[in-house]
Amino acid sequence: MNLRRLYQRLRDPRGTQADLEEEVRSYYDTLESRRVEEGLSPEEARRLTRAACGPPAHVIEEVRVSRPEAVVETAMQDVRYALRLLRRNAGFTAVAVLSLALGIGANTVIYSLMESILLRSLPVADPESLVVLNWQSRPPQNANKDWVHVVHGVQGMLWPGDRGTLVTGMFPYPAFELLHEQNGAFSTLFGYFDGRNRTLAYRGQAATAHTEFVTGEYFRGLEVSPAAGRLLDREDDRPGAAPVAVLSYAASQSRFGGPVDAVGQSVLVDNVPFTVVGVAPPEFFGVDPAAVPDLFLPMRTTLLVDGEQAARMYRDSNFYWIEMMGRLRPGVSMAQAQAELAPRFHQWVAATATTDGERANLPALVLNPGAAGLGSLRRQYSKPLYVLLAMVGLILAIACANIANLLLARAAARRREMAVRLSLGAGRWRVVRQLLTESVMLASLGGALGVLFAVWGVRALTFLFSNGRENFTLHAELNWKVLGMTAALSVLCGLLFGLAPALQSTRPNVMPELKNGRWGGPRRRALHVLVIAQIAMSFLLLVGAGLFVRTLQKLHAVQLGYARENILLFSMDARQAGHRDPEIATFYTDLRRQFERLPGVSSATLAQSSLINAGFMGPALKGPMKVGGVTLDGARVLSAGPRFHSTLQIPLLAGREIDERDLPNTTPVAVISERLARRYFGSENPLGRRITLPGEKRELEIVGVSANVRHGGLKNGETAMTVFVPISQVAPERVTYALRTSGDPLRHVRSVHELVREADSRVPVTNVVTQAAEIDRTISREVTFAKLCTGFALLALLMACVGLYGTMSYSIARQTGELGIRMALGAPRAVVVWMVLRQVLLLAAVGLAISVPAALIGSTVVRSFLFETSPHDPRTLLSAGAILAVAAIVAGLVPARRASRIDPLVALRHE
Amino acid sequence: MGKSAELLQGTLDLLILRTLALQPLHGVGIADRLEQVTNGVFVVGPGSLFPALHRLADRGWISGEWGELQTGRRAKVYALTAAGRKRLTEEKRNWERVSLAVNQVLAEGL
Repeated sequence: MNLRRLYQRLRDPRGTQADLEEEVRSYYDTLESRRVEEGLSPEEARRLTRAACGPPAHVIEEVRVSRPEAVVETAMQDVRYALRLLRRNAGFTAVAVLSLALGIGANTVIYSLMESILLRSLPVADPESLVVLNWQSRPPQNANKDWVHVVHGVQGMLWPGDRGTLVTGMFPYPAFELLHEQNGAFSTLFGYFDGRNRTLAYRGQAATAHTEFVTGEYFRGLEVSPAAGRLLDREDDRPGAAPVAVLSYAASQSRFGGPVDAVGQSVLVDNVPFTVVGVAPPEFFGVDPAAVPDLFLPMRTTLLVDGEQAARMYRDSNFYWIEMMGRLRPGVSMAQAQAELAPRFHQWVAATATTDGERANLPALVLNPGAAGLGSLRRQYSKPLYVLLAMVGLILAIACANIANLLLARAAARRREMAVRLSLGAGRWRVVRQLLTESVMLASLGGALGVLFAVWGVRALTFLFSNGRENFTLHAELNWKVLGMTAALSVLCGLLFGLAPALQSTRPNVMPELKNGRWGGPRRRALHVLVIAQIAMSFLLLVGAGLFVRTLQKLHAVQLGYARENILLFSMDARQAGHRDPEIATFYTDLRRQFERLPGVSSATLAQSSLINAGFMGPALKGPMKVGGVTLDGARVLSAGPRFHSTLQIPLLAGREIDERDLPNTTPVAVISERLARRYFGSENPLGRRITLPGEKRELEIVGVSANVRHGGLKNGETAMTVFVPISQVAPERVTYALRTSGDPLRHVRSVHELVREADSRVPVTNVVTQAAEIDRTISREVTFAKLCTGFALLALLMACVGLYGTMSYSIARQTGELGIRMALGAPRAVVVWMVLRQVLLLAAVGLAISVPAALIGSTVVRSFLFETSPHDPRTLLSAGAILAVAAIVAGLVPARRASRIDPLVALRHE
Repeated sequence: MGKSAELLQGTLDLLILRTLALQPLHGVGIADRLEQVTNGVFVVGPGSLFPALHRLADRGWISGEWGELQTGRRAKVYALTAAGRKRLTEEKRNWERVSLAVNQVLAEGL
């Protein structure tokens, strides 16, 4: 192809066309004049020439379509025509594009979350050759609920596996050494351990940093290269090596002004000096997509940071804590690696069992693919995401049905146009292609707008999912994979809702259409099927929304037994900053007194954690508790500071609450909850009685009885028997303060920070939150689902109503003649209205009849998301049905009233 | 048009190139000459001729210039370019090979 000519043609299409026309005209003229010279009349010459050569326009068209750019030209023509039509029907276009944009946007958001959580690989070299080491065994408790297992203690997470087993990735350190040393399957095997939040101090400024302790081969095994400096290696992970640290890229920017500036700096981690030797690359977040470590430290430095406690962890073969990942040697499969390692681990773990009971239930090594990192996010979110995906899929289906409906109605109106075009000789495929261009354009506009919605939606949803956690990220983004998916989805939608109307309106038998303007039955049936489908799908979403809203209501109705409003919570850990017993208790108490003196704060207290999270924190006291010879079964211990009950408004039924008289050296005391008092003391007065702690060789004197409080979360918490003990008498570590304020609790955040900085600038204040928000955080998934589903359901309902309205309007326009005759014969208006509404209700009834069974089956899928709500909750089903019926009537009423105002004369003339 | 539709793909191109190798011609001239030299076997209508001319021009083998005929009528006159001349030689060689092969097949069939 001569590019200069192509360029010329594209630059000046009109000139090219004129040139061609003149050339062809001159050809015909020459032939004609030749015939005239032979003696024919000019008219005859003209006729004969055309008969021999065909019309000149035909020749011009032949040349045009034979050009390579003709394909593009035709498409552009179609696009221009489509755009003109879309612009002319602005109302229709707006409704269609907006509903599609919402549908496609919602799908893009959910897909981008799925892509980041379920599909994406770790950003390291060759992630496919990484495997995670897990083990599984039967639950460690036997029939008598006694703990019989080689695992005596854990630090990490367990999750349910197949057939009632428990699975985890934690191992004792000696097991890591064993697998690490003799290894033919892995080129590298490395370990890591979530160090959780530590205090990172730099130039006197303390803040919280999420730490990850990693073995020497961690970075080498993951094949990551540094953004600055160097990464950790084997030499750094030896006892006695100089303590060094690697920062995450984000942390180097936020705290040190950039990766290069960070290298070589000295920092304090929990008061232990470290040197920053390097910075990880920006995309690297470790091996757990749910975590965002700020600081990577050599495994062995736990000895420096945690002291003797850590030293015990290295020696203990029954304490499980280190997690491992390996990189397979080239050519070794995961199954081969498992076959090699599993027997060796079995042999080792058998030797750590001391009783027959332990030997009967040994952990078995299992390898899992590690390409996508650890599975915690996948386990947590895969089911909610699939449920959400189903919902947004329904939304999009409703949107498509809606547009198909509108297009069908419009296709009927354009049927004459189509018939004319077809009879003038346009190819059917050409007309169908033009109609499809229109619908795909519509879908593309919807898709483009949908991407904008998605940008906002991804942010909103990440926030909703984050549960209020500070350093939470889903790493969700609109990357090319997601955008490609969106584009494909848009085009597919366009073809989907465009094809049926396009084929219908270009059916070959065009003659009846030209003869009269009426159209036949099949298309109306198609309209009805689409409306019924919309109603059925809307009902499903309404039921879903109803169930989640009901769950939320039930959760909000849970009696906590303590104040929810006007409480400010925040946490700190003075032990990490270097405070030790017994001074630490004084440090905490002094701070409490200062907080209480803040203007606007009526009282202040502290405890080992907030009450809503009390179920997840370690026990304040170890070993069984007894009253006389009877063991307290199921009692929970919460260490609390002075004025705990009055600050949180937990009523005291007898005696006193914990106060400032309870010091480390005074008589150990306890306040018990009413339920515990009833159960173990019956009608006797528990005041002055004692709880004995054989394990700690201590006795607690009961000094008060309080009302019951709910421990732990709203969903799986319990109104347990509680033993409150003074925090000053149990060697406090991390504590959570609670301030009772007048007005907005968050107004006092700054004063709190100032007071703590004055007391000790090394202690960072963390997790500042109102009590109400702290409680809602525990049910964020339910809140998210209730909000999202309600939004989705309303959207679906609205679209279904638009569809219903459109269909009814159309059907009435068609029935004008019939209605006119009826009215001329004296049918009252009410009868006409009822005729229309009856159709609407019939459609709704058919839709419901289809979707009630579907809803009954579908809702069982979300059973695990519900709280005290049956998936077949009759109230929800009834109200969803009622809402739908009302919406249908409203949508039908407008066309019905219009029908009743038909003037019989006009109607009959119309006919 | 009827007969030319059965022309082998590319044959018309070859014939046009060959015709223009002798002298520059306008559309009617080319059609006349083709009919003439093939003794009326090939009657090329404008529906085939013009797409072929534009296809050849697009490839740079021929180029068209507006000029005046003896009758005083304006017409686009096509001439072979240097690239067209080269192409014609190749096409001719090809054609000879093909027709030789076809003739052999036909001869053997007898």
